[in-house]
Amino acid sequence: MKIVVAYKWTSDPEEATVGADGVVNWSRARPGISTYDPVAIEVARGLAAATSAELIGVTVGAKGVGTPLAAKAALSRGLDRAVIVEDDSLKGAGQAELAAVVAAVVRRIGDVDLVITGDSSVDVAAKMVPTVLAGELGWPAVAEVTDVTGQPGALRVGRAVPGGAQVLEISGPAVLATSADATTPHVPGMKDLLAAGKKPVEHVDLAALDVPASSAVMTITGRARPARKERKHQLLDTSDPAEAAAELVKALREVGAL
Amino acid sequence: MRCDWVHGYWVHWQWVRCEKGFGMSVNAWIVVGDQPAIGNLITVARSLGGDGTIAAVVAGPRAVAETVAASGVDRVVWCGTPDGSPAEASAPAVAEAVAADPPRVVLGGRNPGDRVLLGAAAAALHAAVLTGARSVTVGADTVTVVNAVYGDISDETVEISGPVALLLDGGSVPAASGAGVPIEEVTATPYGVKVLETIPSEFEEVDLNAAQRVIGVGRGLKAKEDLSLIEALAAALKAEIACSRPVAEGLNWMGKDRYIGSSGARISPQLYLAVGISGQLQHMVGVTGAETIVAINSDPNAAVFAQTDYGLVGDLYELVAEITSVLK
Amino acid sequence: MPEVAEPDFDVIVVGAGIAGCVTAYQLAQQGREVLLIERGEAPGSKNLSGGVLYSRGIQEVFPGFLDEAPVERRITRNCVTFLNATSSVGLDYQDARLADPVNAVTVLRARLDPWLAGKCEEAGVTVMPGVRVDRVLTEDGPAANAAGAAPWHANGTTGRRVVGVQAGDDELRARVVVAADGVNSFLARDAGLRPKDPLNHLAVGVKSVVSLPRETIEARFNLTGDEGTAIAVVGDCTEGVGGGGFLYTNTDSVSVGVVVRLDDLTAQQKVVTDIFDHFLAHRFIAPYLEGGELAEYGCHLVAEGGLKMIGEIVMDGMVVVGDAAGLTLNTGLTVRGMDLAVASAVAAAGGIGAALENKDTSKAGLTGYRERFFASYAGQDMKTYAKAPAFLEHERMYKQYGELFADVLYGAFSLDTRPRRHLLSVARRALAHSPLKMRHLVSDGIAGGRAL
Repeated sequence: MKIVVAYKWTSDPEEATVGADGVVNWSRARPGISTYDPVAIEVARGLAAATSAELIGVTVGAKGVGTPLAAKAALSRGLDRAVIVEDDSLKGAGQAELAAVVAAVVRRIGDVDLVITGDSSVDVAAKMVPTVLAGELGWPAVAEVTDVTGQPGALRVGRAVPGGAQVLEISGPAVLATSADATTPHVPGMKDLLAAGKKPVEHVDLAALDVPASSAVMTITGRARPARKERKHQLLDTSDPAEAAAELVKALREVGAL
Repeated sequence: MRCDWVHGYWVHWQWVRCEKGFGMSVNAWIVVGDQPAIGNLITVARSLGGDGTIAAVVAGPRAVAETVAASGVDRVVWCGTPDGSPAEASAPAVAEAVAADPPRVVLGGRNPGDRVLLGAAAAALHAAVLTGARSVTVGADTVTVVNAVYGDISDETVEISGPVALLLDGGSVPAASGAGVPIEEVTATPYGVKVLETIPSEFEEVDLNAAQRVIGVGRGLKAKEDLSLIEALAAALKAEIACSRPVAEGLNWMGKDRYIGSSGARISPQLYLAVGISGQLQHMVGVTGAETIVAINSDPNAAVFAQTDYGLVGDLYELVAEITSVLK
Repeated sequence: MPEVAEPDFDVIVVGAGIAGCVTAYQLAQQGREVLLIERGEAPGSKNLSGGVLYSRGIQEVFPGFLDEAPVERRITRNCVTFLNATSSVGLDYQDARLADPVNAVTVLRARLDPWLAGKCEEAGVTVMPGVRVDRVLTEDGPAANAAGAAPWHANGTTGRRVVGVQAGDDELRARVVVAADGVNSFLARDAGLRPKDPLNHLAVGVKSVVSLPRETIEARFNLTGDEGTAIAVVGDCTEGVGGGGFLYTNTDSVSVGVVVRLDDLTAQQKVVTDIFDHFLAHRFIAPYLEGGELAEYGCHLVAEGGLKMIGEIVMDGMVVVGDAAGLTLNTGLTVRGMDLAVASAVAAAGGIGAALENKDTSKAGLTGYRERFFASYAGQDMKTYAKAPAFLEHERMYKQYGELFADVLYGAFSLDTRPRRHLLSVARRALAHSPLKMRHLVSDGIAGGRAL
């Protein structure tokens, strides 16, 4: 039995800067496992332990996603091994392209029963990679997953829906996208990190994968920094809270916010 | 009129060109799960122009298909999702319907079920996927999208030759317009996904986009009980209460539909009052459209103050109580 | 006594800054099993420095350093500026000789440190980011357990010896632990090596990196190619608080900051961020940065005590390197930290190597580190400039001299149709109006000559 957990190695746009020309500068941002993916790994680890499944980490992206440091950071969270596609042609790749490459890796690994991912990535927050991935694999996808129990083939999946929660039963292979609060991931200890250095990492050539050609060609023809509304930046004197409150309410009435 | 999807998009478009004048090619597909909240998707589809149709494929209950059929779209396909299955189970039928009449654009809303259907359609079309569209223009050979990326810090203009799937805010349930169109029923083998149990949320549902005034609560609030203080202010302000992501996901003090940010709600109210919110990019991107922003935070260096009209540095408990009493 | 556990590593280095990386790299090159632990999620993520690295030392460690490492610009122009509210007097020294051989470069730590950590990995170091060391593991020293001790324990010292580190639930053991964890070294303190620092040996630095187009930087700072400028500023930039400001050019950004003494800051009840804002807005500083975009902002403690800051840097089973050892040097003209970190790391790697060879990692066995360091150019410099910190603590340095110089030059350059006086008499008059007295000039002149 095999469970794949697909994670993203990327940077937080909070640490990026953008020039007046709209070009995003990532050079000072520090890459890491995308913020919500450790949750996916933790959920997958729990299920893999309960079902004696092999847990395989998969990541795809531009050069840098597969450095020993990056691989160890993922492996130390409880993966048994990792399969990594590192290719600069994936720099700035769209959601559909990334999903198609992950799907090709899953097919290559073979006999995968379940793919678990984080619901959104910290950089793009598109929430579409897991669902396109499922489409590529011809498997059902469930997003906002909060817990997974049972066996692949008869999974019980808890998930959030607008207005509440549901428990689903899934009879075949599936892609599950975990919500950010599905669990609290543990912080890997030194022994985990040392053990991670001894786990197998397979680097797969993008060219060696069977990735279906996209019907769409995307060209970026322009970039701009979005115009932000000018803010007043008025700091009210709060030495007397009652006075500050009165001043605020007065100001809000004047601008028509109340 | 159907065009069987065999050799990919360009084959199809040559076909569309030679058939031009017959009309009826699909300009836009809208994928719909078990909620007919697609008002915004219809607006966007209409704005595309062209002489193609706007078609919707519904994977939810028949009642949803009926609402959609009366909403002014040109065509409705219903997948007849089996009882006891979620909309996601009908993803194969949705993908098949969309691929059978390939469009220039597929549109879907952001809730979890709709995202799965859009993903299935995008995969079937091998379409490009964009999730931050600010505007969409359909040209003769390309679709041009101004797409906000990376927490909206940059707008990229993307030209796509080929089909494109766009994830957008669904909007509200469209009002009935005219007599409606007949519902075409299709079937495909659904995925083996069953709903075993549905648990209603302990929290009331909310449409933050409908609110003129919104109070956002962050981790500056120390305890869940202290929300009563915020509720009193909300009552005095006639405002809805929203929050930053950790307050809904993690602390679980309110429903997930109340968190604002790059992966949550994006709102443009008259007034946004950020209480105990530090002002991280992921949150603030959800309120950039607000007319007036006020922030209350005890940390004078909080990033939120750089993004506000009025800032109050101090104890939020004291200040919120004072503002409430002034309003009364 | 229980058997001494076989260590997990020969050496555990805590802190993947420059000192830690260089120590780890050189020990791995000697064939030692080395673990390099870093608190930040990525090497360099917690580090901040002004940005000028006097690079001769590191070039010896990495012969390809200038070509391979993410170096920003090679400093060929050094300026020292006395800044007053409405005037500034400066020394501007530009010299092609500084480019060949390269003497100093600007670096951005967010780029340099990952490169260094990568070099360590290549050399066989186990690099472990995202781990915060909670405790130094100690055992009774050699004197207490001499009976059951391994051979390298056998030495006459007493007290505790360091045997490893603990993070979370995990303990890892090593024959030597290297504390390279920065100015506030938790390790050195936890091991009982350092008391709390006196405030006047500490300064607080605030720094921004401001992005500007390459061409703009080259035009504004009179540079070509990858040449760079380092400007040291004293005077009005710190609103009278002891300290100074700096501007360093990177490839497509400028590092700008102030470093002010913590005790003076506290005494004058000033806020360091206000001082920084004042500096950025200064009429003679702002034009350098105009139109730039803030790319990075940070605040950091800096040890400034020079030789006085260096206390014990060797104990049983542990050595302290870099900032953690208090190795910074402010001569007024140059502020050095990173090159001293390199020098101490090279000395430590040598000393530890010898200790491991001799199977004696006690304090006495590791003392080769201390000897090597003080024999190095960096250690010599620490002695040479031993009096600089005290000299630079004089308030006069920050306020009155700049105004005096400006008044003298104003007398010379302001041709207001009145006949000119001899420069000396202008100077005398200016001095008469200044709170400075002739004896200050004489004593500071002598002290400065001795200290610098």
